[in-house]
Amino acid sequence: PPTAGGHLPTIATSSLLRTSRDSALRSPGIQWQDPDSHSHSRDTRKLNMYQAVRDAMATALIKDDTSLVFGEDVAFGGVFRCTLNLAEEFGRERVFNTPLTEQGIAGFALGLAAMGHTAIAEIQFSDYIFPAFDQLVNEAAKIRYRTGGAYDVGRVTLRAPCMSVGHGGLYHSQSPEGFFLGAQGLKVVIPRSPLQAKGLLLASIRDPNPVIFLEPKILYRSTIEQVPTEDYHLPLSSAEVLIPGDSLTLLSYGTPLYHCETALSLLRSPPPELEHLVPPSLRSAKVELIDLRTIVPWDIASIVESVNKTRRLVIVHEAPSLGSISSEIAAEVTKRLFLKLEAPVRRVTGWGTPVPLAWEGLWGPGEVRVLDAVLETLMY
Amino acid sequence: MLRRSLPLLHRLHRSLSSSSLPPLSQPPTHGHLPNTHSALTPSLHFFNSVLPGQIPTYRVLDSNGVIVDGAEVPDVGREFARRLYETMMLLPAVDNVLYNAQRHGSISFYMTTHGEEAAVVGSAAALSPTDEVLGQYRELGVLLWRSYPLSSIMAQCFSSMDDPGKGRQMPVHFGSPAHHFHTISSPLATQIPQAAGVAFALKRDPARKGDVAICYFGEGAASEGDFHAGLGMASVLGGPLIFFCRNNGFAISTPAAEQYAGDGIASRGPGYGIRTVRVDGNDAWAVYNAVKEARRLALEYQKPVLVEAMTYRVGHHSTSDDSYAYRPKQEVEDWKRIDNPLFRLRRYLESQSLWSESDESSLRTSQREAVLAAFRYAESRPKPRLGQMFTDVWGGEEPWMIREDREEMGRLLNKYGNVWEGWRRELERFDAGGRDMMGAGEEEEEN
Repeated sequence: PPTAGGHLPTIATSSLLRTSRDSALRSPGIQWQDPDSHSHSRDTRKLNMYQAVRDAMATALIKDDTSLVFGEDVAFGGVFRCTLNLAEEFGRERVFNTPLTEQGIAGFALGLAAMGHTAIAEIQFSDYIFPAFDQLVNEAAKIRYRTGGAYDVGRVTLRAPCMSVGHGGLYHSQSPEGFFLGAQGLKVVIPRSPLQAKGLLLASIRDPNPVIFLEPKILYRSTIEQVPTEDYHLPLSSAEVLIPGDSLTLLSYGTPLYHCETALSLLRSPPPELEHLVPPSLRSAKVELIDLRTIVPWDIASIVESVNKTRRLVIVHEAPSLGSISSEIAAEVTKRLFLKLEAPVRRVTGWGTPVPLAWEGLWGPGEVRVLDAVLETLMY
Repeated sequence: MLRRSLPLLHRLHRSLSSSSLPPLSQPPTHGHLPNTHSALTPSLHFFNSVLPGQIPTYRVLDSNGVIVDGAEVPDVGREFARRLYETMMLLPAVDNVLYNAQRHGSISFYMTTHGEEAAVVGSAAALSPTDEVLGQYRELGVLLWRSYPLSSIMAQCFSSMDDPGKGRQMPVHFGSPAHHFHTISSPLATQIPQAAGVAFALKRDPARKGDVAICYFGEGAASEGDFHAGLGMASVLGGPLIFFCRNNGFAISTPAAEQYAGDGIASRGPGYGIRTVRVDGNDAWAVYNAVKEARRLALEYQKPVLVEAMTYRVGHHSTSDDSYAYRPKQEVEDWKRIDNPLFRLRRYLESQSLWSESDESSLRTSQREAVLAAFRYAESRPKPRLGQMFTDVWGGEEPWMIREDREEMGRLLNKYGNVWEGWRRELERFDAGGRDMMGAGEEEEEN
């Protein structure tokens, strides 16, 4: 077994990332948007996640003259560089700063979309999406329904960086996806990597519903993949099995997927200090790792299919457990697979506190907490 | 602890004052600071108004319908003038029938426009029929001006199967893309930043050159954050847009004096760099002239314009409100008599021989008959199909949770729909009696 520390996967060395052209082009579910081009001519580029997000927006701006990119500080490239040079390339009429008002940004986006324009708006941190909560929950989510389909704002996509960055404290770390679970009519999507970000963002922009697209900010620079240069979608409301297995389903999304990967490595070959805590009989357990990708509406079929096979489920996310997507999944899986389950559905989440600056390293669902939940569930 | 840190503070202070500051020399002279063109002044003077005294109110007709000295009635022609009055009169004709219908329990809710007919219809008349309208809820007069069918108004209020909105929203939440009238929603002021987006879309679209957006809201809604957000977005980003505030003195029970301490809503416009006018909202010609000019300015400069129409909410806030609980009935009666927008325009039209007593009585009869006919038809119509409860939530592929809810409801209806009296009675109100959902359930059971 590898020695402690040195061989543990990190985000940079993760096997979840597609670092070759071939593996990138063969991404499951990839839907090419240019039917004329042929697979042998397709190319990829090495991009990190902020570059992939930028690439997706540039693609949308090229293909759709009505599309606009706006938000606070996007004109100079954005505080995370996601809109770098877009204003220079497409003009300030299409890529522009707004006054500092999240409810204004969201409302403005809805007005554009009601007129058939494509609005790609940025909320600087998902922590600051709450001033726009009324526009999103009472307006965006309900416009198609309340107008009997006469108006819809499906051309709205609201991007926002989310999740912990290690030193974000209360207002640069949150995972607000759970707050939107009750907003029927909205979609919420969270990518795990550059290739995912481009395909899911383009699918979100073209989806006939308003989409909140949350980008785990710690992955902006730390994940690097080969990303197809062409226009492609990855399907919404579709989870992806990253590592197949049959003894336990480990379900996550965004940053904690990489903690899950590390936890599985610890399980397989625990370093000396953990060896006595990991029973040898469990080290060969085949854990199925799944990326949920779309939070609302989530892919129940894939989750049920997996748990029907593995009979055990551990859900991992950064948002605290109360009122979270894992509450939903646990309830639905229990309802459907009550007699199949061999252990209670277990959740590894941020502790039920605001995200505390000094304790941030111990707050989130790190690899040891995931390892423990997997062990406890396997041994139940 | 504090005392121990003092030496450190001293050192910090010394190092800052000795080494960090540039050497003293003659600073460059300048006329203003970086983020303002404001002149520098040695006198300390606080201010709370940008105009000496109050912002004046533009008026064309006095309360007797006589043209005010120096004012001009727009040259719109006989038919247009008559149509303006007729549409203003149609509002109370519709309002009275539907208000009473709510009082008798035929519809669940209603809101009248009593007292604001000139503000709403006068502004609508100054617009092009393809201008985009975003309203609050007391702007039915705009739809009437645009010949929105009475049948659709009644269908919406009754949530009948003919309602274009499929019976989902409360009464008076109208909307029609064909009439460029964005569907009303209850949350106040949300339409204001949306209007900024609509105007920006108009600015960008060559096919909509010449069209403007107009956004209506009350003085109470102007206290919402979305008012600030919307005016900020629109003033900075541009686009042809008229913000039209109906300042009728009350937000439900709250008088304007408890809503703001400044000079109404108009005083806020210049703070955003927005051209602004205050107008007598009970004077149809003043409103018409102001909005016509606001529209011209909005188009010419591709910037928003603010119009504050001063009026008085003669009716109760809604059918759920008894306004005499917070204002004397006599005050309302006085306003109806002293400053009645319908009377004012009628007296003017009569003075110009554009209107007569016989015109008045035949108009009242024909409008009442048309409204009652539409009312009776809507009343007789069933509610939409039951299954329409579950459509239009998400576009595209229907998510599993909606499908499962519909199937579960179908199962329950099959089981209890014909036996449980409460449900049986309820189902009779819907088109097809709920069988569209029960049938779906039965098919499934056969499978």
